[in-house]
Amino acid sequence: MILNLKTGLTFFAILLAVTSCATPKSYVVLMDNADGTVGKLAVSGTKAEASGENSDVLLSKSRTGVDLDGKANTPYAVDENRIKKDFGEAIAIQPPLPVSFMLYYKAGGTELTDESQALIPKIVETARKHPAPDVSVIGHTDTMGDSEFNEQIGLQRARSVAELIKKAGIQVNDLTIASHGERNLLVATPDNTSEPKNRRVEITVR
Amino acid sequence: MIRFIMAITMLLMAVPAAWAQDTIGFVKTVSGSATIVDSGKANTAQVGTPIKMGNTLKTGPKGAMGVTFKDNTVMSFGPDTELTVDEYLYSPGTGKLKFGTNISKGSMQVVSGVIAKLKPQAVTVKTPSAMIGCRGTRFLVKVEPSDGRE
Repeated sequence: MILNLKTGLTFFAILLAVTSCATPKSYVVLMDNADGTVGKLAVSGTKAEASGENSDVLLSKSRTGVDLDGKANTPYAVDENRIKKDFGEAIAIQPPLPVSFMLYYKAGGTELTDESQALIPKIVETARKHPAPDVSVIGHTDTMGDSEFNEQIGLQRARSVAELIKKAGIQVNDLTIASHGERNLLVATPDNTSEPKNRRVEITVR
Repeated sequence: MIRFIMAITMLLMAVPAAWAQDTIGFVKTVSGSATIVDSGKANTAQVGTPIKMGNTLKTGPKGAMGVTFKDNTVMSFGPDTELTVDEYLYSPGTGKLKFGTNISKGSMQVVSGVIAKLKPQAVTVKTPSAMIGCRGTRFLVKVEPSDGRE
């Protein structure tokens, strides 16, 4: 009987130890990007700063985390189960990532190159797949001609793309149109240079 | 002179208020209950609801929500989460870039966007006991309201 009580107590102690390990805590985890790259996180504890201690932690390895309790500042590996348990819902509800497209133009006007014309259905399809899509369209030109005129050409290009999107009959939640004229070159050139890569419209579907 | 100073002060105070009216993002996904608090008024979050600077994004005990911002930052929240967008400046042409948020409880995933790419030190997430600076990456944050509060 005494032995039974002892085993019971030991069991209880182990149970306590296990549950206290699983006590929910505030923490941050660095993850890899969709393209496989990994950035960095700088974590500073505001509490420790107040006491004059330097507690800055730099995370640079995927799936490493650090507690945000103002005390512990040693990074540790975070396993898949813990990520699923604590972040499963947040990850599952992630909206589709924004997608950008580049359309190029024949010299001088708003006529798309054949390759770019062929991209239009793909842009439309992407917008259809995004919930409440908001689309931004930015027109650019090369440095041929004067800069004010190029602002106008850039705007005309952006507007013509916006028209194409509207014509496709997609319910767009928000559509912003802008021109950067010749102020934002993709390929740096001197003034009055015809450069096909600079005659473009940048479309982002969010 | 005092009147002049007062007028200037009021003018300066009015500027951030005017900025706050701009839409900085949209709700893209919702499940269960979620709200957007704008100037103290709570509105039910729906797909397409606009987000403005100063708004607080909340999810209920069984709620979840995803938001995409103008600079392509994507944030998504698990249940019982509360996050306020303190600062949002996105003007790549002039270099005015700032994205400051504050999470008081809950769980979230952040996929950083253009602001983090152009000016890494400009993206911060505050928690009750720490400050996270994001340098172009995806990351997860969990905040237990009891942590960092005596």
